[in-house]
Amino acid sequence: MAKLLEMTAIDKSFFGVRILRKVDFDLESGEVHALLGANGAGKSTLIKILSGAYTLDAGRILVGGETVDMSRHSPESALALGVATIYQNFHLIPHLTVAENICLSDFSTGGKRWVNWGAMRKKAGKALAAIGLDIDPGKKVRDLRVSQQQMLEIAIALNANARIIIMDEPTAAISQRETENLFDLIRGIRARGVGIIYISHRLEEIRRIADRVTVLRDGMNVGTLAVDDNLSLGAVVEMIAGREVKTGRRARTTTLGDEFGRVEELRVPGYGDPVALSVRAGEILGITGLVGAGKSEFARALFGADRALSGGVYVEGRRVDVSTPSSAIAGGLGYLPEDRDASGLCMGLSLKDNISLTALAKSRSPTFSVRRDAQLSGRFRKDLAIKSVNANQQVRYLSGGNKQKVIFAKWLAAECRLLVLDEPTIGIDVGAREDIYRLIEDFVGRGRAVLLISSDFDEVLALTDRLLVMSRGRITAELDPDKTDKPEIMSYCLGVNDRSVRHAAV
Amino acid sequence: MPSDAVEVEEAGFLQKFMWFWNKAGVFVVLVAVWVILAVLSRGMALGGANVINVIRQVSIIGVIAVGMTGVILLGLIDLSVGSIVAFTGIIIAAIQVWWMKGQNEYLTLLICIVVAIAAGAAVGFFNGFVSTKGRIHPFIVTLGSLTIFRGATMFVGGGRPITGMSQAFRYIGAGELFKDYLPWGLFIPVPMVVFLVIVAIAAFVLRKTAFGRSIYAIGGNQEAAYLSGIMVDRVKIATFTILGGLCGVSSLILTSRLNSGEVVAGQGYELDVIASVIIGGTSMNGGEGGVIGTLAGALLIGVIQNGLNLLMVQPYWQLVVKGAIIILAVLMDRLQRSFQTL
Repeated sequence: MAKLLEMTAIDKSFFGVRILRKVDFDLESGEVHALLGANGAGKSTLIKILSGAYTLDAGRILVGGETVDMSRHSPESALALGVATIYQNFHLIPHLTVAENICLSDFSTGGKRWVNWGAMRKKAGKALAAIGLDIDPGKKVRDLRVSQQQMLEIAIALNANARIIIMDEPTAAISQRETENLFDLIRGIRARGVGIIYISHRLEEIRRIADRVTVLRDGMNVGTLAVDDNLSLGAVVEMIAGREVKTGRRARTTTLGDEFGRVEELRVPGYGDPVALSVRAGEILGITGLVGAGKSEFARALFGADRALSGGVYVEGRRVDVSTPSSAIAGGLGYLPEDRDASGLCMGLSLKDNISLTALAKSRSPTFSVRRDAQLSGRFRKDLAIKSVNANQQVRYLSGGNKQKVIFAKWLAAECRLLVLDEPTIGIDVGAREDIYRLIEDFVGRGRAVLLISSDFDEVLALTDRLLVMSRGRITAELDPDKTDKPEIMSYCLGVNDRSVRHAAV
Repeated sequence: MPSDAVEVEEAGFLQKFMWFWNKAGVFVVLVAVWVILAVLSRGMALGGANVINVIRQVSIIGVIAVGMTGVILLGLIDLSVGSIVAFTGIIIAAIQVWWMKGQNEYLTLLICIVVAIAAGAAVGFFNGFVSTKGRIHPFIVTLGSLTIFRGATMFVGGGRPITGMSQAFRYIGAGELFKDYLPWGLFIPVPMVVFLVIVAIAAFVLRKTAFGRSIYAIGGNQEAAYLSGIMVDRVKIATFTILGGLCGVSSLILTSRLNSGEVVAGQGYELDVIASVIIGGTSMNGGEGGVIGTLAGALLIGVIQNGLNLLMVQPYWQLVVKGAIIILAVLMDRLQRSFQTL
């Protein structure tokens, strides 16, 4: 019998960057096949090609032994083939009932104009019973728990005759007990011959639920293993992280000073454990972890963008009020957000106006000196080598790297002391990346400190003086970048190892 | 990822035109409309007395539109301006006719000016405070105060107009400056001076003060502005408060010209005010535009209204034309934006 799914030699590039290289992937019916990989390894691209969201450049997909016409592949045709994706953010309509969500395509009208509530409830009840889900079809979706919504999505997918179900981090937002229920459900539908592609960062789950595991790294399939008692998690970690041990450290003469900044027991909304750390003058302290590890949430709470539940932040011995960004800035903090377009820049404003934003906020005089403003932006434009037509150009027309430099200039203008950088080089080309690194090094070179949050292991290994690993909102390790390697970092990211560091001391 | 290599592309004719249109389009339209109406009305529209009349009428709406420019630059809206005008108007009328009757005219005038601006600002503060701190869209809040303060106006006036302002007070609306120095009986009306001074101050504030720049920053990207340390709520409340105060100023002119505090004063002003701002090129999404455009926008509406009057077009048709112009202006704005992103 033909395999349920065969993907052969899948190639995909974005803007000339090759994301997938000749990736093979297959799925048997009644199998749970786990797909693993670090951030940016190509997992979601592969999934999106299968589900019709992206086209592919080269390769072949067979579903149930039949070649899929990739020129006409779309989300609709994928659904028609029986490929359903359960995303982390649900595609349910919260204000409608469970029954309506299940029957959304036609509201059980049978081609007529009128909604048949009775038929709809019956159909919904059947769909729910089919997977042993005990939910009242008349309930509104917004009143369901997250895990129930997830299972409802699975019920909807099966009701639409899905043969292949893709689950993207299904256990990220649900409790231990709900995870057990989900696994029961997965075993149930597996027994009915449905194939499941299971994406997760939690290796222990893979071991429990998956039949096979495929690891992607840098857009390549680095291996497919059977999940049995012989499977070594260490080997999987190494496959995910890559074997090469050393990446080039950037040469930098640093003289670390005394303690410069300190975070005491900062409790971040949504995460249980408080985080504490300390950073020295002249130090680049790295914080790494996978997407969803809570790094960005920590940064936002540290800066006052979201209110921390409790905890204290100190810069140069003085306590900083981090209840709002403006008080945090007054205390010497600066923050470069992860999403530079949405949170970092006023796109319609000029380069000059963006750079002077922080100065503007700090300004105590009633009038704002346009001349000083122009001097400021002129200086930074030159110092940071920001490429633009002139200082009045709207920032929306700048490239990613130059946008990031504008934000950097904004914080230099604010004369901040401790700079928190969240993924500063994401989506930035190599040349500009080098410039950003140099800016960071210059910044700490003047006796200040940087918290560098990044999911890019190469980046933190090359750049930082000390490295903290975060997993599920906790600091699980403190590492010396000179003495560690990617597999070790990955093992702490995945929670295979845990040397919980309550206080990452100097 | 697009690299740094492509910096500036040679702007095509269309882009250049759109850029020019964005900056000065409304002035071009203003002049064109004026010329057309002048021809159609056989020169009447260009008569000195008529021009002065237009500007005097425009001032009442224009003063409010200056404040509204700030609110719309923030990406927000205020629907209650007409009610604020009526509410402050009935109060200053009551002061003159009832509460301070027989007092020194100039003292009364001074108190009226202070009270009108303060009462307007208080309502504006209310709008700003409730919408920011209560996290309610100002559309809803000001829709509420539109009703509340229309009611309050009726309450203060007992449902009837209060008529008979003092001579000193009537100078605000009727005052004629430089009459002796200008030829052909022309003069500079006081409301025009008030309006232009306010436009000048607003232009300065928006361009050269930290407060003004903060308005653009918040309208451009509230999150980025907040993360840069700008006190977003404070700026919003201040902007609403200023708008309220300017409604008070407008009310001084209107009440003076009507010689009466009217219950129905300012009804429907929000339409003309918002239209002036939008036609003047300020984006409803906030962050882009300015008060000079609003000046032109207000003049354009005034000129068209006046021209249609001169041509004896029925008032019903005037409303149709006005509405069409608003839609057209926004459509141009959209087009211009879509060309920008090409």
